[in-house]
Amino acid sequence: MDVSYRWLQRHVDLEGVSPGDLARELTLHTAEVEDLRPFAPALGTVVVGHVVSRERHPDADKLSLCRVDVGNGDPLQIVCGAPNVDARQNVAVATVGAVLPGDFKIKKSKIRGVESRGMICSERELGLGEEHDGIWVLPEGLSVGAPVAEALGSIEGPGGVRALDWIVEIDNKSLTHRPDLWGHRGIAAEVAAIRGLPLKPLDLELPPTGDGAPFPVRIETAGCSRYVALPIEGVQVTRSPDWLRMLLLAAGQRPLDLLVDVSNFVMLDLGQPNHLFDGEALRSGIVVRDARPGERMTTLDGTERELGPEDMLICDGDEPVALAGVMGGEGSKVNPGTHRLLLEVASFHPVTVRRTASRLGLRSSASARFEKHLDPTLPGKAAAHLVNFLRELGQDVRLPAPPTDAGDWTDPARTVRLRGARVRSLLGVELSTAEIGALLERLHFGVAPGADADELAVSIPSARATKDLSIEEDLVEEVGRLIGYDRIPEQALTDAVHPMARDERRVLVRRVQDRLSGGARFHEARTHTFLPAELAAALGVADEPYVRVVNPASEGLERVRRGVVPSLLGRLETNLRERPEVRLFEIGKGYRPEVEGDRGQPAEVHEVALVLAAPRPGPGARFDAGAQARLTGVVDDVVRTVRRRELTWSRAEGPLPGWAHPGRTAVGAVAEAGEGPPVALVTELDPVAARRLGLEEHDVAAAWIAVDALAAVPIPRSWFQPLPRFPGVKVDVALECPEELAHAELAAAVEKAGKGLVRELELFDLYRGENLGAGRKSLAYHVLLQAADRTLTDKDCARFLDRVERAAGDLGARLRRE
Amino acid sequence: MNVDLDDHLEEARRRIAEAADEAALRAVERAYVDKGGVVAEMLASIPGLPPEDRKAVGVNANRLKTAIQEALEARRSELADAELEARRGARGFDPTVPGTPQRRGSLHPLTQLQRHVEDVFTSMGYLVLDGPEVELDEYNFQKLNIPADHPAREMQDTFWCDRDQHLVLRTHTSPVQIRAMEQLEPPFRTIVPGRVFRNEELDATHSHTFHQVEGLCVAEGVAVGHLVMTLRTALREVLMKDDLDVRLRPGYFPFVEPGFELDVRCPFCADGCRICKHTTWIEFCGCGMVHPNVLRAGGIDPERFSGFAFGFGLDRLAMMWAAIDDVRHFLEADLRFLEQF
Ligand SMILES: [Zn+2]
Repeated sequence: MDVSYRWLQRHVDLEGVSPGDLARELTLHTAEVEDLRPFAPALGTVVVGHVVSRERHPDADKLSLCRVDVGNGDPLQIVCGAPNVDARQNVAVATVGAVLPGDFKIKKSKIRGVESRGMICSERELGLGEEHDGIWVLPEGLSVGAPVAEALGSIEGPGGVRALDWIVEIDNKSLTHRPDLWGHRGIAAEVAAIRGLPLKPLDLELPPTGDGAPFPVRIETAGCSRYVALPIEGVQVTRSPDWLRMLLLAAGQRPLDLLVDVSNFVMLDLGQPNHLFDGEALRSGIVVRDARPGERMTTLDGTERELGPEDMLICDGDEPVALAGVMGGEGSKVNPGTHRLLLEVASFHPVTVRRTASRLGLRSSASARFEKHLDPTLPGKAAAHLVNFLRELGQDVRLPAPPTDAGDWTDPARTVRLRGARVRSLLGVELSTAEIGALLERLHFGVAPGADADELAVSIPSARATKDLSIEEDLVEEVGRLIGYDRIPEQALTDAVHPMARDERRVLVRRVQDRLSGGARFHEARTHTFLPAELAAALGVADEPYVRVVNPASEGLERVRRGVVPSLLGRLETNLRERPEVRLFEIGKGYRPEVEGDRGQPAEVHEVALVLAAPRPGPGARFDAGAQARLTGVVDDVVRTVRRRELTWSRAEGPLPGWAHPGRTAVGAVAEAGEGPPVALVTELDPVAARRLGLEEHDVAAAWIAVDALAAVPIPRSWFQPLPRFPGVKVDVALECPEELAHAELAAAVEKAGKGLVRELELFDLYRGENLGAGRKSLAYHVLLQAADRTLTDKDCARFLDRVERAAGDLGARLRRE
Repeated sequence: MNVDLDDHLEEARRRIAEAADEAALRAVERAYVDKGGVVAEMLASIPGLPPEDRKAVGVNANRLKTAIQEALEARRSELADAELEARRGARGFDPTVPGTPQRRGSLHPLTQLQRHVEDVFTSMGYLVLDGPEVELDEYNFQKLNIPADHPAREMQDTFWCDRDQHLVLRTHTSPVQIRAMEQLEPPFRTIVPGRVFRNEELDATHSHTFHQVEGLCVAEGVAVGHLVMTLRTALREVLMKDDLDVRLRPGYFPFVEPGFELDVRCPFCADGCRICKHTTWIEFCGCGMVHPNVLRAGGIDPERFSGFAFGFGLDRLAMMWAAIDDVRHFLEADLRFLEQF
């Protein structure tokens, strides 16, 4: 909201309070001031000129040749095209060299052969609204040659800059809870409270009215709690005086004609929107009702709108004449010939107005105010203010009938008890209860003694009671902000701090992050929680159950992801354009709507997701050079690092997500944990999904590790093993077997054949080839045999190999002796 | 004979002194000391000598051998020293040739900053908590003193989920305040880093998904002064600026009363810069004393206990910290971005 410093001066004497002081003090005590800027800075660059003479331009009918005195004894010859320029006027002159808004620089020029040394300005050229039918005529008696801002009375702001007025822009969000601050009177009341200054009196009593019949008003909806209607006669629709136009401009409101300006003035002064109807266009009487389904009306802006029961209408009989609180209708618009007016000042339901305004995209300064739970006592006061203000402007206003005051409302003013001790303990300041009372009185509260010496009975005026202030703590805030939070002494917490419960998940997450980003050389990513529809389709997971957003950020972002792997897979293709290999991981959350969480919300899974994409290994590469084997190694390493456990891998059973290769997916479990859910899954990217993602050329593997399942695995205590005293012997074992026989079975058989002597066992080659025959493979192991009590001999090796040969034979494998 | 001996010794010493390497020394050794060498010949000649000379020749031959061996050893040691000395020279060394590259991965900048923040607060006795991102309306709004028709619900542009509209993507980390109160007995202190969502247009400074750190401290007699000292102390560590100044000004959040905005003195300038919009203050976090309705919703008696709460944006802090110009980078998983951290 834009607040005019000059406007505030109508309500409080700001002698000694500069615009900079005002902005700073409002920020520290009331609401955030976002900007402080001079009003119409161009007024500081143009000067008051006096038109000494005006003649017709010799070669152009529509141009005038003016001699303009700018105070230096050398009248300037200026060519002017405005029809209203005339001798003896005071005007705003931009002399040669001046720069006007829009970076418009004034130069000496020749217009139709006649020299022109400057420009006589219109309001629009000075950034004062849209008026450009003619030049701006200044009042008489100004000091010729002075900058216009100075001649009209300027105010010094920060940095010594002088301007006609200063605009204090307050963040609307910080006024959400303060309906009383949506007008200059309310802001002035804050300034008065902060500074301990008196607020100037304001006459809010309606002058005596005639005894005609009050205007009929009927309220048929709960959305309107009060409707004041007042017929007004005798108003001449003219142009508003410049000072009023300037105030409105400074407050961000475009001036139009006297009626519109006065209506806006009252809204910006008291914060209460109001509406003026052409009284002659109203035939039956006002009815406030909800719109009917599909009902249509044309608003002031000429647009036909389709409405429904959630919208509220002001009608003339049955005919809609305004969209309540949002915008007037075209039919009853006031025009310059209007002499009989009907003033509407009403209280509308905030939520109804907010919903209509935002659905129709018609947020206005009026609807913004209605949304804030306005003081229901305001309509009567605002009606009086409008009438009094018209009189102040010299209008001969007649009120033929008393106002109609319809509706069912109660004054929210209330009394709240406040204990001095509560203020002292929450704020941590030493203030006597009497001092607290005095502070609250400065804020325009009524203060009376309470039940005991430490208690105050604080009466809260209606303007603050609609939403903002209802409990003791609210008053604590009032006291705190008025004394200033910088006056509150810092205090150290002294309560006992208990040792913290060990947070397994957080410890584990950090170690996993460190391991993956360190040794494994993975880069940690974070990706969006929303799974794009296109990606879900490409990965074949579009039809899984998802938590869905009803109002997504954009179409296709309805799905809340079930797990993290798909999000990472979606980021591979772009990254691979820049580099041959991509290793990414993310520790994030997914949601399962089919499982209930602790309070009935969908269950949440914490997942370490990993993806690895690399060029396909060449023909001579080692058997474990592929992405899936590498990723399996990384997962094994992580589990070993954080849990000192080995994973047992097996072929995944049951339905798999669409991105998992149906024949090449492994799940890992911690052997000792028994039949629990898998801790990890590693897969090659399904070829169909790979094609859809444009990853066919790459070797892509993906994996997840279930954080909570892993955190639940206890870390075994590791007991010290005596250092070996006798050297071991290394033996290579090569076994040829059918494809179906798993490495794990062979390795177990080899280990068993060692009778406790196998200290290390490493698969170093896995070979398939024509020489072995179809459906067969060869696995080769480095084995270290070592005994605790003696040095092993060739004989031990020979016996070991014999046993391996027999065990392998039992499994259908053959020991290859070269 | 003696002349002969002296000649041999002199000659051998000369050759040894001239020897530049082991090969030359070995040649001397072969010529004099080894089988078939001068000493061996002298000894071999003994049987043909008169008996009275035999002993002297034998002694002389051995003396010669010993003397040559000593000279050889001395020269060897000299050569070894010279070689060591030569190895200590600087030739062939370019200190600017890079070391063997050790490639590494990286931690997300938000992770790094989050850890830093967690470490500061845990050192001050705060427990780190987590809460669900798909949250019940009850926790995200109602229990936080945000009733059904409150403008905050529209103000925050909530993402609503299906299931009869009771579910939202949490719009702040504050629902974890209630969860913490339900789970912990006062006194307690806790922070909650986490992901939050608001239905906003994406641009360089706005994302519909961002990260917050919530803080909550509940105990007997907690006052505004405790909040100020806690945040000033913590933010000095977080921003690593020992003389960091903070200030409170009024701010409105339905779940605190009184409510504040906390500004920190701009750590980047002394008298105004682009980052602080030339005010020397940076709006850092919303905070306040926990509203009694919120304490009650969490099952805590507001007459006995009071508390303060605060919340700040991690993304904005990271952007300030590393001069990141676009919030969208954080969730794009672009390696060109990630590798920088
Ligand atoms: Zn700065």
